[in-house]
Formats: sequence, structure tokens, C-alpha cells
Amino acid sequence: MLSPVNVSLESLNLMTLAPMLIPIVGALFILVIDLFKSNLDRSLYVMVSILFLLLDFGAVSDAAGVFSKDGIVLGVFDVMLIDGLALLSQFIIVGASIFFIPLALTNKRFHETSYPEFFALFLFMIGGFQFMVASDNLILIFVGLETASLALYTLIALHNRDKSFEAAVKYFTMGALAAGLYSFGAMVFYALTGSVEINQIATVLAANSYADIGYVLIGVVFMLASFGFKLSIVPFHTWTPDVYEGASSSMAGYMSIVPKIAAFVVAMRIFEFLIHSGVVWLEIVLYVFVVVTMTAANIWALVQSDVKRMLAYSSISHAGFVMAAILIGTTQSNSALFLYWILFSFTNLGSFSMLWISRQKELPQGQATDHSFERFSGMIKTSPIAAVVMAIFMLSLAGLPPFALFWGKVYMISSAVTSGYTVLALIMALNSAIAGYYYIKLIVFMFMKDPVENGTVETIANSSTALKTIVGFSLVGTIFAFVALNPLLEFVTSFVYNSGY
Amino acid sequence: MLDHILSILIFFPALAGVFGFMIHKDGMRAYGTAVAAIEFALSLWLWFAFDSTVSGMQFMENIPLVPAFGINYILGVDGISLFIIILAAFFTMIGIASLTDTPNVKNMIITLLFLQMTMIGVFAALDAIVFYVFWELSLVPMLYIIGAWGGPLRIYASVKFFLYTFAGSLVMLVGMLFMAYFFYQATGVWSFAILDWYRLILPESFQLWLFAAFFIGFAIKVPMFPFHTWLPYAHGQAPTIGSVILAAILLKMGTYAFIRFSLPLFPDASVFFMFPIAIIAIIMIIYTAMVAYAQEDVKQVVAYSSVSHMGVIVLGTFALNVEGISGSIFLMIAHGVVSGALFLLVGVIYDRRHTKLMSEFGGLAHVMPRYATIFGLMLMASVGMPLTINFVGEFLSLLGFYQQSHILTLLAGIAIIVGAIYMLAAYKKMFFGDVTNEKNKNLPDVSKRELLALIPLSIITVWLGIYPKPILGPINTSVESVVQLMHNKATTQEAKSRIPSVITITHGTQASAKEAH
Repeated sequence: MLSPVNVSLESLNLMTLAPMLIPIVGALFILVIDLFKSNLDRSLYVMVSILFLLLDFGAVSDAAGVFSKDGIVLGVFDVMLIDGLALLSQFIIVGASIFFIPLALTNKRFHETSYPEFFALFLFMIGGFQFMVASDNLILIFVGLETASLALYTLIALHNRDKSFEAAVKYFTMGALAAGLYSFGAMVFYALTGSVEINQIATVLAANSYADIGYVLIGVVFMLASFGFKLSIVPFHTWTPDVYEGASSSMAGYMSIVPKIAAFVVAMRIFEFLIHSGVVWLEIVLYVFVVVTMTAANIWALVQSDVKRMLAYSSISHAGFVMAAILIGTTQSNSALFLYWILFSFTNLGSFSMLWISRQKELPQGQATDHSFERFSGMIKTSPIAAVVMAIFMLSLAGLPPFALFWGKVYMISSAVTSGYTVLALIMALNSAIAGYYYIKLIVFMFMKDPVENGTVETIANSSTALKTIVGFSLVGTIFAFVALNPLLEFVTSFVYNSGY
Repeated sequence: MLDHILSILIFFPALAGVFGFMIHKDGMRAYGTAVAAIEFALSLWLWFAFDSTVSGMQFMENIPLVPAFGINYILGVDGISLFIIILAAFFTMIGIASLTDTPNVKNMIITLLFLQMTMIGVFAALDAIVFYVFWELSLVPMLYIIGAWGGPLRIYASVKFFLYTFAGSLVMLVGMLFMAYFFYQATGVWSFAILDWYRLILPESFQLWLFAAFFIGFAIKVPMFPFHTWLPYAHGQAPTIGSVILAAILLKMGTYAFIRFSLPLFPDASVFFMFPIAIIAIIMIIYTAMVAYAQEDVKQVVAYSSVSHMGVIVLGTFALNVEGISGSIFLMIAHGVVSGALFLLVGVIYDRRHTKLMSEFGGLAHVMPRYATIFGLMLMASVGMPLTINFVGEFLSLLGFYQQSHILTLLAGIAIIVGAIYMLAAYKKMFFGDVTNEKNKNLPDVSKRELLALIPLSIITVWLGIYPKPILGPINTSVESVVQLMHNKATTQEAKSRIPSVITITHGTQASAKEAH
């Protein structure tokens, strides 16, 4: 005879689940609307999604209030975790999504955004990412990761260009491989410590002072490879440019921001304790990954003839740059990671939105890609404001002051300097210099070359009020970042510090 | 209003530039000239209100920007930066007023106004990050000016210019972050304020590395040999206005930064690197003079002579005493005036003939006598004739370095004289002899608009050559405090003896200033 399970609702702390449940409810709501009345305008779905995301944002803020009062909160049989990392990354995830979803309201109609499923999948994906960051339970992280990834594969495939199916399949294959590696790594850790909770694993490993170092390293290798895929760390990056090219520009921009921050948070949780355990080998490997990712991606970006592929490589390079924060592993560097990513979100959202604005309905004859550099030639003459806006985003990505990413770079390099990584700081600086070239290349095309002869090139064909608003927001965020920097920095630092990172 | 005059000086042109977008292109030239004239008047007001007996910073503004990380918006001027700011305002005005038939003149003027913001920002900033912001931002308008209005190789030239300076300054940024970190270690607070950093005494081994990091950023900007290769391209391809601003103001950022950062922050390292840098400076003087002699394009002659004179400025700066540093600052102004004028003069002939090859000309003195006169005057100044503005600066710079090394000074002095050859040779090729080329027979002499720019420059050249005191006085006062600070901060015995304490030197400076005129 089994005794009845007796769990009080209060001990479950259900409020920790609220932020993730909101988008999932929203997704179901959209599906239900579609059941009752199909063929509604996409603007309705956009607005419904935004409403749910705003609610979600409110719930996260609410949780942030609780966190700053009571510290770290556990809930739902202790698998859910609210700490500073979870909250900061959820702010980025939900915030970026709010800015992203209106990009569906383009001037031209693209078929993917006319399906309600698009928005439902989108909200499911956000819920998945939120689960992923708000837990230190390896199983729940896996569930969140897969929920989000499966939705994302489908979202990419919805884009109706030949290359998008290829991209979706490629991404799916790589993602499946990464998932396999992840579960194998988790298994090794479970076998070693008898737990799937990261803090438990850390405690047990520390208690027997890393006796089974060989097995730990095997687990680390699998985890590293798995996150290498997700974060597109060189040499696991090969899918990235193709997938970005196949996905729509807005989706590519989104993929360069949101999935990465989710993966960064998990990587931070897993690798931070390993780095601090003094395993020299791991530090060297991470160091090499960071440097190679930054440098190699930069060099590949130099030779791209397509702006979108260039931005894809550039975002790999940015990921490598930010990966350095995990290697350094101080409070300052971890804060720098979030600061950088918030500023990066604004800029990258803006630049991919500008590509999205220039999207054509059909590819014209004799044009291999949507966004070749040549297409932007002489944009200062054909659409001057768009050219200036795009140039500002490029300068920000290059790290030119006073635009947003400069401050992120300064704080990140400073964190390297502070913790004695002088060589790394120099490598980061020199990489920024290399990166300057390909960002400037686009500016050169826009400002110094003459427009393409036949005059059929439309660089702002796809713009609509919604898109202009989003670009406007990103622009203001990019130019005036320094105004908000101090409160942002204090906020981020206190959250990171109070979570023990 | 005086409390915020520096902010006004910085942001007024940029704001006016934004409004410029709304102005019809026919009125743009007048609008731009008016804005630049107001800006110049404001800068003169700054001089008028400036107390030249005070050695420290004046008109300071301090607004917290990122207090959590020690970044503040701090501005201020002293005798070192005051005249460079005025020079920047002056040349922007002259440049806009003398703009000839440029395509897309509206964009050009707006770009120039933005450039003016960054230039004045660099010289007024007293926080390293704010300094860095303006320093980097100045690359963008210049990139556009060269890349959109330049010659056939303009894109290559502009990108090269951008990447060289961008890469150099990133290394400098790492150095700045280290400085702030050392300050944090010493005091427990983050600060990027330069005046805070002045209080920090660093051991020599740290100084050497930091000096090197800053040096790379500055040396590329100056540009010092062997980092100078971007400059001939930039000058060669840039439109006249671009070359004028580049030579007159932008290059001064590097030499100014040496005096603002390198010397007071790292006195021991400055002494350590004094002779290597002096040797590089002398190579700059000799080598570029030789290269200048081989040029066929008159603009390249002026460009290389400009590098050559920057060598003298560097030499004077690293004399590390009041005469040398004051002389080098004075020479920065003088070089700005003279080389700016020379580029304008080259622009005059280029507008008429659309060629800058010296072989195309000859006997111009018969056709364009006024032009030949002004060119001759500026050439004499450039060569360093007594009674012209350059002489004062060159003399003081060499006098300063004479106290450190007789032989090197002698070498530099000879090099300057030898360097004069190419200028005279160029002048001879272009102006003397008979008019051989038919196309030159009926060239119009300088127009009123051109005279409007050239006459003030000529007057300044002679006036300050004869009577440099109004400028040299305030410069001296501020330089004395810098040298005293270096003397006090120096940790090694070698540095203490190389950097003289100012108290005994003051009289000598005045005497040498008198000798100079």
C-alpha cells in the first residue's frame, strides 16, 4: 500500500513557473483562435503575441522583484530556479522577442507569417528558452532546449525559399547531434555524482576533490561540443552561415541573439564551477576556442560577398568574444557578458531588420543572393536615411564609440585586463580592428560607390511603419546607449553578483 | 554660458550640421560659413576669457556618465589645448569658406561640421574614454570625405586610413583600461579622468608597457616613421579640404596626445624612450625630405614635407623640457597654419588645371603673380625662415633638444636645412622660367574668395613670426606645470636629471622666446 503523496502547494512555489507558462498559454490561445476562425489577419496574431510577451515580461520583472528581496528562489520540487542569470537572460529573451515579432508586419506579404502556427511556434520557442535558462537541472535544461530548438527548426523551414529547407534540415541535423552529445555529457556527470543538478554535481565533485578527473573531462568534452554547436563556436560553427542565409533576415537576426544567450547562461552554469575547480586543461581548451572563434570567424567574414553571410560570421565572432567572459569567470566578466548581449541585441536586431527591409519578394534574374554587397551600392543617393541608419549599426558592431557595442567591448576587455588576461585583451582589441574592415566594406559600398545602373534595385521595398518603428527603437538604443549605461551596469552587476557568479 | 562654453564649442557645429539637412543646397555654403564663423568667434571668446596666468585647467565641466565604471564627461582647456582648439575652429571656417565647386556640397559641409565636433572634442576632453570617443569618431567623417570626394584611388586610401588608425587606437584603448585598473588598485575607485591619473605614480616597468600601448595609437596618428604609409595615400587622394583639415588639425591629435598623456603619465618611460624616438623623428625628417624631393606631384611634396615637420614636433616634445615642449606646441600651430595654407594653394592650382603634376607648370610667376607671392611666403615659412611663424617653433624645439643631445640636434638641424631644398626645387619648377605650357598662358590669378582664405593665413604667418608672445605665453605657463609634474613624478635618477625642475628654467624660457623674434 503506497502512502498518499503529500505536497503542499506553497512548497512548490508555483510563481517560479509563471513566466514560462504565459507564452505557452499564449501559443495555445492562438491555436484556439485559429480553430474557431481561420484566415484572420496576421496583425492580430502579432498583437496577441506581443500582449502575451508583455505579460511574460511583467512576470519576469515580478520575479526579479522577489529575487532582489529574498535572493535565489527554488520551486516545483526544486527543479526551477530563479537567480540573477535566469532573470537577466529572460529579460533579454522576452525583450528581444517583443521587438522581433512586429517584424512580421512587412509591407510585402510573405507566406510564413500568414500562418497562425508561426506565432504559436514562436511563443512555444520562447517558453522553451525560458525553461532552459531558469533551471540548473540538466534534464529540464534539455527539455527546454529541445522544445525551443524543434520550434525553431520549423520556423526556419516556413520561409519559402529553396535554401530555407536546406537550412532547416542542416540546423536540425546539427541540433540533433548536439542534443545527443549533451545527453551523453549529462549521463557522464550523473554517473559520476548521482545527480543531475549542476550545483549538486559541483558539490560532489569538489567533495571528492575531482578524484575521477578523467571521467569529468569526458563529460566536459561532450558538453563543450554540444554547446559549441549551439553557440556556433569554431569548429562547430559550420552550419551557421548557411542557416542564416536560408532563414529570413528577421529570423536570422533573432537566431543571432536569443538562442545564444540561453546557451550562454547554461554554459556559464556548467563551465564556471569547472573553471574555478582549477582544471588547467579546461582553461586552455576554452582559451583556444575563444581565440580561434574570434579570429577565424573574423577572417572568414572578410571574404564574404553577401552581407547576410558577413553578418553571420560576424555574429560567430561576437559569440567568441563573449565566450571569453566565461573563460575569465569573474563577476565583472559575467556582468560584461550580459551587458554586451543587451547592447548587441539592439544593434544586431537593427542591422538584420535593415536587411529584412531590403528583402525582395522574388529573387531577380542573375542575382544569386538577396543581400549581395553590390545591391547596397550608392544607397546614400537612393535612400539616404536608410544608408545612414545602416552605417550607424555597422559602426556600432565594429565597436566604434560612442555607439552601443563600444561600451560592451570596453567593459569586456576591461574585465580581461582586471583578471590578468593581458594577452587575451590584446587579441580582443586586434580582432576588433580586423572586424572593422568588413563593417567598413558595407559603408564603402553604400557611401562611396555609385548606384547599380539599371535602377531596379529597391533597398527599402519592404519597409512598413512597424518595421520603421523597430529600426527606430534599435537606432535610439544604439546611439544613446551611454545614457542608460550606468543603471544597466549596476542592475546587471548586482544580479550577477547576488547569484554567486 | 562661459561655464558650458566647451560643450557649446563641441556640440554647436554638430547640431548645426543636423539642421543643415533641412537647408536647400544653394544656401548651404552660406549657412556652413556662418556656422563656422560663429564657432570661430566662440573660440576667440574662449581665448578672451582664458586666464593666461593660470597653468591648470579652465572652464571645466564634469558630468557623471557611467560612475559605476569611473567614466565621466569631463572637459577643460589649458594653454596647451587652447590654441589648437582655436586653430581647429579657424581652419574649419576657412575650409568651408573656400570650398570650390564640390559635387554634393551639402553633404560635404555637414560632414565637415561633424568633423569639427570630434576635433574640438578631442582637444577639450579630460576623460580618457571621452577623449577616445571623439578620437575614434573623427575617423568616420574623414573616411567619408576621402572616400566620397577623393581621387581615383580614394576608396583604397580612405579604408587604409581608417584601418590603420582604428587598429592603433584599439591598442591604446587596452592601455587606457590598464591605466584605469592601476588607478583602481591604488585607490579602490575606477576613474578614467586624466587629472586623476596624473596623481598616480607607476613603477618604471609598468610605465614602459603602457607607454608602448599608448605610443602605437599616437604614432600612427602623427604619423611617425614607419607607421606613416597611410598618410601619402590619404593626402594624395583626399580633396583639398580633406588634406587641409588632415594636415592642419587631425595630425596634431597625435602630438597633442603625447603631451597630454604620454609625458605626464609616464615620465620615466618618456626618458627611457627619448633617444629611440628622437632617432625615429630624425629619420622622419631626413627620409621624408628625400622622398619629397623625388615626387612629381606638388601635393605629395607638401604631404611629405608635412610629415617631415611633424618629425620636428616630435623631437621638440621629447626634449622633455619647457623650451622643447612649448616649441613643439607652437610648431603644431605654425605647422597647421603653414601646411594648411600650402594645401589650399595646391587646391587653387588644381581647380584651374585639374592636375597637380609639377611638370605641367612652369613660369607661373608671370601669369599669377599674387599666387606666386603667397606661395613663396608660405614656402619660406615652411622652410623655417626667421620672421615667419615656423621659425619660432623649430628654433625652440631644437633649442630644447639641444639640452638633451648636441649631436642629434645638430643632425636634425642640418636635416631641416637639407629638407628646404625640395621645397625650393618645387618652387623653381613651378614658378620660374618661361611659360612653356600653352594651357598655363591664361590662368586667372587668385580670386577674391581664395584671397579671403589666404590673406588671414599670411598675416598670421608673419605676425606670429615676429611677435609670438600672445600665444607662447599661455603655452609656456601650462607647459611649465606639465614639466614640473613630470619632474616630481619621475622615479628613476636618470629621469630626474633629464627632466629639469621648472623653477630654475623659467628665466631661460623667456630669454629664448625673446631671441626667437
